[in-house]
Amino acid sequence: MLKIKDIHKSFGKNEILKGVDLSIDKGDVVVILGPSGSGKTTLLRCINFLETADSGKATFGDLQVDLHDASKKDIHTIRQKTAFVFQNYNLFNNKTAIENVTEGLIIGRKIPKAEANNIGKKALDKVGLSDKYDSYPSLLSGGQQQRVGIARAVALNPDIILFDEPTSALDPELVGEVLTVMKNIANEGTTMLVVTHEMSFAKDVANRVIFMDGGVVVEEGTPHDIFVSPKEERTKKFLKRVLPEDYTFYI
Amino acid sequence: MSEGLNYTFLIDTFFIALSGVPITLLVTIVALLFALPLGFLLALTRINQVPILNWFSRIYVSFVRGTPIIIQIFIVYASVPLILSLFFEKYNININVYNINPIWYAFIVFSFSTTAILIEVFRSALSTVNKGQLEAAQSVGLSNFQAYRRIVIPQALVVAMPNICTATVNLIKATSLGYAMSLQEITLKAKVAANVGYNYVEAYIDIFLVYIILCSLVEYGFKLYEKRLRRYKYVSA
Ligand SMILES: Nc1ncnc2c1ncn2[C@@H]1O[C@H](COP(=O)(O)OP(=O)(O)O)[C@@H](O)[C@H]1O
Ligand SMILES: [Mg+2]
Repeated sequence: MLKIKDIHKSFGKNEILKGVDLSIDKGDVVVILGPSGSGKTTLLRCINFLETADSGKATFGDLQVDLHDASKKDIHTIRQKTAFVFQNYNLFNNKTAIENVTEGLIIGRKIPKAEANNIGKKALDKVGLSDKYDSYPSLLSGGQQQRVGIARAVALNPDIILFDEPTSALDPELVGEVLTVMKNIANEGTTMLVVTHEMSFAKDVANRVIFMDGGVVVEEGTPHDIFVSPKEERTKKFLKRVLPEDYTFYI
Repeated sequence: MSEGLNYTFLIDTFFIALSGVPITLLVTIVALLFALPLGFLLALTRINQVPILNWFSRIYVSFVRGTPIIIQIFIVYASVPLILSLFFEKYNININVYNINPIWYAFIVFSFSTTAILIEVFRSALSTVNKGQLEAAQSVGLSNFQAYRRIVIPQALVVAMPNICTATVNLIKATSLGYAMSLQEITLKAKVAANVGYNYVEAYIDIFLVYIILCSLVEYGFKLYEKRLRRYKYVSA
């Protein structure tokens, strides 16, 4: 459903993505692991055209685009097929929770307001915020803000949702509520590409895990492949660092 | 000359000073109508590092901010007629440049100086809205223009409003310098009235009162508007 081919991106002299390939099928939950600075955020941003790649191709269903010089129209189409959940939530601070969710529907997609409100309410219900429709972001906890962020993505009914470390800006006690929401929407069959350091999510929810380091995909496979029998030395090293000593992996 | 204040004159001149208010306001409003959009656009070129324009705005701001308004008035008032008369001569336009209403020069001077102030006001206000919100807006399918209009500008305006208010009040006060080019505003009108009987103290008191009333009203208006704008922050802020 989504295929990325040979994507390259440099900032100045720094080559951040050195030819990454990616292939995601409908219903996949793909987790990207990797040390900080390995280019995970940049990869997601290039897919959503928040960053312009230096080269690379993307195939969304039957739409083929060049990631370096896509037309405005193609960019718009791809943004309609994708949704982004940001590390820092990036809610619209001048809009209520429900307005945050409906903004893209009403303005981006020209859906009538009443219909958009229905969709928006359903999305907020889904993330457990039925009592917060009219709250401004400044009144919500980090966990609640991120759940609005997820509702905003879900409401767009995209082909795929891109998550960039959705829980790493949260206080530890708020991580759980967000992961639960993500697990629920994964179980509904939503296609997801998730950058995270939450190993439990990778292990329990993902059907594929990609390990990135230094701008390339080092290794990919099922959670079992990666966590139990990693082949690459770099993967083993990384896992040893991030997993607790007595971590055991059950399927 | 009598001792003490001449109260009849004080009251009469108050109304003469008051009759300068429309000109003062007209210059203020024209300058703002010019400077608000232009200042905003040039602030955008600063924020987004647009080549050339960004550089131009920076130089422009430091020029205008680095010179007293009275000097800017002298420069415009002295040089624009020269340029115009050359131009009129060349194209055989039969207008005497010295008959041009000084309000046009006031429009020019105050529009340009206010633009410089507002570039800085908007630049700092825009930088308080994190770029992530703009990106989020784009990612849900808003165009750049829509994202600015619906997300960034409303928030930047709330931040900018107190400074826009200050700039407006400063502008109103600065128009009093228009007397240097015979602009028929508050200060000039009251001073001319005072010339007849040397009632300067009374005239100055009137000028003082008119400005203080005018500026207080404007500030009050801004406060009301600000309150309405910052609805979304009322509990947290
Ligand atoms: N806009 C940018 N300009 C310059 N360097 C950047 C920019 N964005 C990211 N980088 C650099 O790219 C590298 C990879 O960043 P990133 O994709 O955020 O990695 P990750 O998400 O895996 O931690 C980092 O070293 C970062 O400093
Ligand atoms: Mg990152």
